[in-house]
Amino acid sequence: MRTLVFIPAWNEEASIEAVVADVREHLAGTDILVVDDGSTDETTARARECGVLVATLPFNQGLGAALQTGYLHALREGYDCCAHLDADGQHPAAEVARLLNEVEADRADLVIGSRYHDPGAAAESGDYKPTFSRRIGTGVFRFFLTLATRQRFTDTTSGMRAANRRVMSLFSENYSPDFAEIESLQLAVREGLRVEEVPVRMLERAGGSSFLTPLRSAFFIFKGVVVLLVGQFRPRRVEAER
Amino acid sequence: MSRLALAADATQVHLTSQTRIVAAILAVFFMLLILELIRRDRLQERYSVIWFVAGLGMLAGAAFPGLLELVADLMGVRDTNVALFSLVLLLLLGLALNFSVIMSRQAAQITRLAQERALEKAREQAAEARSNGGSASAERERA
Repeated sequence: MRTLVFIPAWNEEASIEAVVADVREHLAGTDILVVDDGSTDETTARARECGVLVATLPFNQGLGAALQTGYLHALREGYDCCAHLDADGQHPAAEVARLLNEVEADRADLVIGSRYHDPGAAAESGDYKPTFSRRIGTGVFRFFLTLATRQRFTDTTSGMRAANRRVMSLFSENYSPDFAEIESLQLAVREGLRVEEVPVRMLERAGGSSFLTPLRSAFFIFKGVVVLLVGQFRPRRVEAER
Repeated sequence: MSRLALAADATQVHLTSQTRIVAAILAVFFMLLILELIRRDRLQERYSVIWFVAGLGMLAGAAFPGLLELVADLMGVRDTNVALFSLVLLLLLGLALNFSVIMSRQAAQITRLAQERALEKAREQAAEARSNGGSASAERERA
């Protein structure tokens, strides 16, 4: 079972080395690919110093395009499984391993790490705490995505996922560059893939800052709802690999 | 039905012959400009067809005003000028949408191109590291 872990990174020079080291420690035996989405800082150089493969996009194209690059690489190089996590240090690699277990055991095609799934768990210091605008957005997306897919999702924008080859072939062809996370979930469910959420621990970000200001959040939410609505009427694609 | 009849009965506002001459000259110049742009490789043929058709339409409207009046009649518009404006506006709207579609397709193509290039370069980098036998950590990564 060959596994690729890819890390989309945009101006994450402060945290990329730690994330790579974390993946090496907790996901031994996997190959690592850092996808630098046209960073203007030293992200590519830092990642290279770690000795991992780095694919540098010539200009910034958004998270969707960066993730798709990872899926494309995994598909082409014949990996059985792949996983991705954020480069800002919010996603512990040990949790990614749990997602990969689900895919490797073939219990699901696509597994999402959800930071909200486990309200009962005692909060540890340093654990992820959502901001107010983030909570509103999460609620809206949750509602509409559940409506669209008739499947319950709690963490619709999670950037910690594991997937098998079915998902690779789907996402390397169809992946919205603007609205990566939500639309991809809708797409996967529509194509009849088994999508599953696994509760995970997430941390506060180690470096960089969130791109979400209140105004941007509002626009982000609006755009997401429109995208979901349109997605409901997209033609289904004939699946190649089944 | 009675409305349609009203529009047809009312006195129509026609294009003046002055307008027609100006429009015809403009149309001819416009088409010459299109041809010149193609000749100088500033405009690709496949994107020029629609503009050429627009120029021909302008010319036809100027040469045969009866055509425009017929269209105005069908639209229920008394003033031929207003009908003309509406048509041109619709045409421009369609063209603008057409450009957005082309732009989206090209954006997707550019994205794919960038991804292919990035992966290609990454593979080159990996091959280089291997042939150098250099960076020990890169080796570990391969294994």
